[in-house]
Amino acid sequence: MGSQRSRDNAEWISALTSTGQAQEAALADLREILVSGLRRGLAAWLEPYSPQLVSLAEEASQEALVRILAKLDTFEGRSRFTTWAYKVAIRIALTELRRKQWQDVSLDEMLEARADQGQEASVLDPQAGPETTVEQRDMLALIGRILQEELTERQLAMMQAVALRGVPMEALAQKLGVERNALYKMMHDARLKLKRRLAREGLELGDVMATFEGSNTSGGRVVKGESA
Amino acid sequence: MTSWLDRLRIWLSGSRRAPFAVSPSSLAVLGRQIATTQEVEYACDDVYRLLDQFAEAVSRGDDAAPWMPLIRSHLDRCPDCRAEFEALMQALLSPES
Repeated sequence: MGSQRSRDNAEWISALTSTGQAQEAALADLREILVSGLRRGLAAWLEPYSPQLVSLAEEASQEALVRILAKLDTFEGRSRFTTWAYKVAIRIALTELRRKQWQDVSLDEMLEARADQGQEASVLDPQAGPETTVEQRDMLALIGRILQEELTERQLAMMQAVALRGVPMEALAQKLGVERNALYKMMHDARLKLKRRLAREGLELGDVMATFEGSNTSGGRVVKGESA
Repeated sequence: MTSWLDRLRIWLSGSRRAPFAVSPSSLAVLGRQIATTQEVEYACDDVYRLLDQFAEAVSRGDDAAPWMPLIRSHLDRCPDCRAEFEALMQALLSPES
């Protein structure tokens, strides 16, 4: 680590686009820098110094070097070269990490309906008065109808998976065989559709949420448990 | 060609979509997502293209670039890109950065 020589952006590009010893030395230095950066960057996901972290950092750095060399002409010099290189390596490492974490979960399992779906009435605050309960039930039914009318079945399933169950978009995109970017755009379209429809219905989101103010909206399990 | 009677039969036989049930907790999450939706948003590729510059600007405490709010709002909405940003910020703590 201490033997790396410091380079500015131009020196990195020059060394990496050269041949022979200069390129080899730059690649070796960059690899060491990436491994070190990934070990820091991935510490929130994997135990520091764990074999998984060490192995992922090594593999992702190796793959990043190949990608960096192939995309060197896209580096615009608007950041430090090493920051740009970290970005490339981190994308590779986190994509691989998500792939491993979700490899045993099928697309159907990712998109399957929530366990509490269909039980919305049972999670209304039991301490709310009858009028409030009716108002809340009507509002939930209305929102459910709007979701159903505005979104395709697939859009709805994806919104549930990503927004409600925390399935990473990258993991879902991998299973669907699409880019994460395409999935984000699809979700954006869905959110826009819902926002416009709510506006057409004259519904202010603040008012919708206010219907449930004072109620425990953290999920059925907690409400039921706390009502005793 | 399917007659209106056939279509009615199909509809009655349950081929239409089952009603979608929303729980208050789901509504809270979806409501937040919809409330923060903008007509124009950066998608993941837009954010990735600028993420290195953004991370360095954040490290310097520089908030001047006009595209920075669009990145911030995307990061608020997209856990995948937020994870990449957070990992990059950690990587930048290294002496080599």
